[in-house]
Amino acid sequence: MAVALTMAQMKIAVLRHSLRGERAQMAGTGAALGACLAAGTVYLGFQGADLLAAGYAVWMLGWMLGPVFMGGGDETLRPEYFSLLGLPPRRLAAGLLVAAFVGLSPLVSLVALLGLVILGVRLGVANTLIALPAAVLQLAVFVLLSKVSVGLVGLALRSRAGAIGSGLLNGAILAGLGQIWVFFWAFGQIGVPSAVWYLPSGWGVLAVQGQWWALGALAVLVFLLLGAWAALLNRRAGAVRPATRGRRPMTASTPGGAIVAKELRTWSRDLARNHQLTFALSYGICFAASPLILGWNGMLPFAGPIFVVMAAAMAANLYGTDGTALWLTLMTPGTGDVRGRQLAWLSTQAPIAILLTVAFTSITGGPWPLILALLAALLGGAAGLVPLISLYALVPGTDPHRRAGNPLRTTEDDGGLTGLAYVMLALVALTGAPAALIALRYGWIGVPAGILTGALYYWGFGRLAERRLRTHGPELLNTMRTGRKAETTVTSRYDSLSKKQKTIAWWCLGFGAIPLFPQGIVAAVFVANDMLRHTWFLATYMPPGLRYPVAAAMIALGLTMYTVGAWILKSPKPPKTP
Amino acid sequence: MTPALDINALTKRFGDKLAVDDIALAVPQGSFYGLVGQNGAGKTTALSMAVGLLRPDSGSARIFGQDVWADPEQAKALVGVLPDGLAMPERLTGREVLTYLGLLRGLAKDVVTARAEELLAVLELDQAEKTLVIEYSTGMRKKIGLATALLHAPRLLVLDEPFEAVDPVSAATIKTILRGFVAGGGSIVLSSHVMALVEQLCDHVAVIDKGRVAAAGPLDEVRGARSLEDTFVELVGDQSNGIKELSWLSR
Repeated sequence: MAVALTMAQMKIAVLRHSLRGERAQMAGTGAALGACLAAGTVYLGFQGADLLAAGYAVWMLGWMLGPVFMGGGDETLRPEYFSLLGLPPRRLAAGLLVAAFVGLSPLVSLVALLGLVILGVRLGVANTLIALPAAVLQLAVFVLLSKVSVGLVGLALRSRAGAIGSGLLNGAILAGLGQIWVFFWAFGQIGVPSAVWYLPSGWGVLAVQGQWWALGALAVLVFLLLGAWAALLNRRAGAVRPATRGRRPMTASTPGGAIVAKELRTWSRDLARNHQLTFALSYGICFAASPLILGWNGMLPFAGPIFVVMAAAMAANLYGTDGTALWLTLMTPGTGDVRGRQLAWLSTQAPIAILLTVAFTSITGGPWPLILALLAALLGGAAGLVPLISLYALVPGTDPHRRAGNPLRTTEDDGGLTGLAYVMLALVALTGAPAALIALRYGWIGVPAGILTGALYYWGFGRLAERRLRTHGPELLNTMRTGRKAETTVTSRYDSLSKKQKTIAWWCLGFGAIPLFPQGIVAAVFVANDMLRHTWFLATYMPPGLRYPVAAAMIALGLTMYTVGAWILKSPKPPKTP
Repeated sequence: MTPALDINALTKRFGDKLAVDDIALAVPQGSFYGLVGQNGAGKTTALSMAVGLLRPDSGSARIFGQDVWADPEQAKALVGVLPDGLAMPERLTGREVLTYLGLLRGLAKDVVTARAEELLAVLELDQAEKTLVIEYSTGMRKKIGLATALLHAPRLLVLDEPFEAVDPVSAATIKTILRGFVAGGGSIVLSSHVMALVEQLCDHVAVIDKGRVAAAGPLDEVRGARSLEDTFVELVGDQSNGIKELSWLSR
């Protein structure tokens, strides 16, 4: 136990040092969101055991898939730190498990597991008493499942076949969850599927309900998972081994060509990038194809566009994952690094996207104008936003040669990385909107509009990214080197704002998307298609005469919020160079 | 004559810590200049600012008269840099790294190919033709870093700990290359905490302590009649306590 307690203390010390400044704010925001979800889950405890078990199934999948999807999970204490101590693997795993309980995510999950206690109180004294150990064991199962799934994917990423295989599988699972309604519909399922009771996430609820064996089953599962994790820790050694085939010689003869050649080689040789690419591909195909189960192929043509958006989100930290290699770019100014990366991104992703789109749209026979307009705009938007966002919101990565045995773990700030991926999803999707709207309204004119807007995004965002790299290069390198945002001599306009202005800007830019997209544009599309009384889309609940005005007002509100936010932050002073 | 590297009043503060405090140094053309100091004295920070990798809070740096911060393209073309511990394009082989950088530096394709071939052979990296940089050992990383610094035949080399983790045979090769470079009129700034190495190679030396220049000038002037190590310990050592021992280890 001494080992475990020491590790827990180490973790507390590290968290105390690292959760400062911007990262503390990010973590605080994440914890607040998590607390809302946890409160929602606890509320399910009042509603009934079925819903609670379903809620915990979602938590379990979150623990398992979240780290695989982004950032490789919490690794404040790396197993490598202890490799010279000669601890037996099982003791090491037990120690790391105790340390893994320290942190915000386990705390939030524990709050969510209070739903078991609520359920227990409603059932009786014995049930309440059993709820406490059940909650702890359930949390241990969540944490261990997370560690084991990350370990398994990490193992798969040692070979190209494994990287591609796990990318395909993970993409399919995540897409399946996103389209879960299709499966409910297909199986005529009403209410909560009975499968939630078979998943380990439901065993805590079973135990509280009086099926005492479930508590034992949870304990056995913890024991087995601990063994599996210990075995995986044993297998994890050193850095990932990239594929070593014959090397084709570099044929480029210009600076731009050299950058493209370097990036293309990185795309094909870095197994983590192989994984990302196949993940996005699998996600796009499975998401768009799952309604086929219901005999509806209307979503199929969107596989290509969905792939583009997801692939961009995966590449959101393009500059960060290269780490301090940025110094070479700084030492050779004026070589067009951004343009080279854009071109390389396009030439790896665009052929796949185009092929996918043409093939699937041929199957359904349309709607060609909308799909082609969307694809062109999204490709340009993604190729423009990937370098731009990764330079403006750089999440400092761990240098590739210093990464530990977990190949998914490219940064110590996985919260920031996940946030960045979601921002990228939203922004890239947004770049497709104008062309898609034109195509919906005017048909084929949408296609040139898509090509034009796509080209504009590519050119304009790329230009902004180049400017950022030129003016803030040394600060970005310092961020990468030290792992924290530089206290820069280049003053940001944001810092000079009053607290009130900052709050207003934050709210406007942070939440402007809600009225603009779901409540505005999406609601208008629903109203147009007579999809009324739809979940939380306000306009669809309005009397006929008010539906479009409400959606329009929401769009106006969203645009106003963005304008106000942008106006507060407007015209940053040109950076001072001492 | 314009100094090869002219550092003027460079200052950098990280939070509460003043990492580099008003450092000024002039590296004459054709000199082999050693920068010595304890860990954390500010050597790497000063050199990073001097070559344009870290923005100083104040002060300036000029390479052959070109201001690094006002005129980066001209200044950076004249210098080859080996930073300590920074990443490379990790998924390229050594030859590919050199080809890539040579092209970025604006060299013609055939020149790049010939120079890469020669550098890989001299630094004994041509055995590992299929090995990616990410799989290199620490010593090999230093060597490929040095090759990238030399590739465009700059007139000034700024090398941060170039001999760390390099095996003795390769170190001898590197010393020969560097001496030849200086003999041909090139200038070198090198940081190290190995005094013997600096004494063996350099003709000028600067002692950096707590972010300031404690002493600077031609080697013989700085060390006088003593060894550089004695001078260094006297300049930066903590005189009150002297060298400490571990009581529990030396039974």
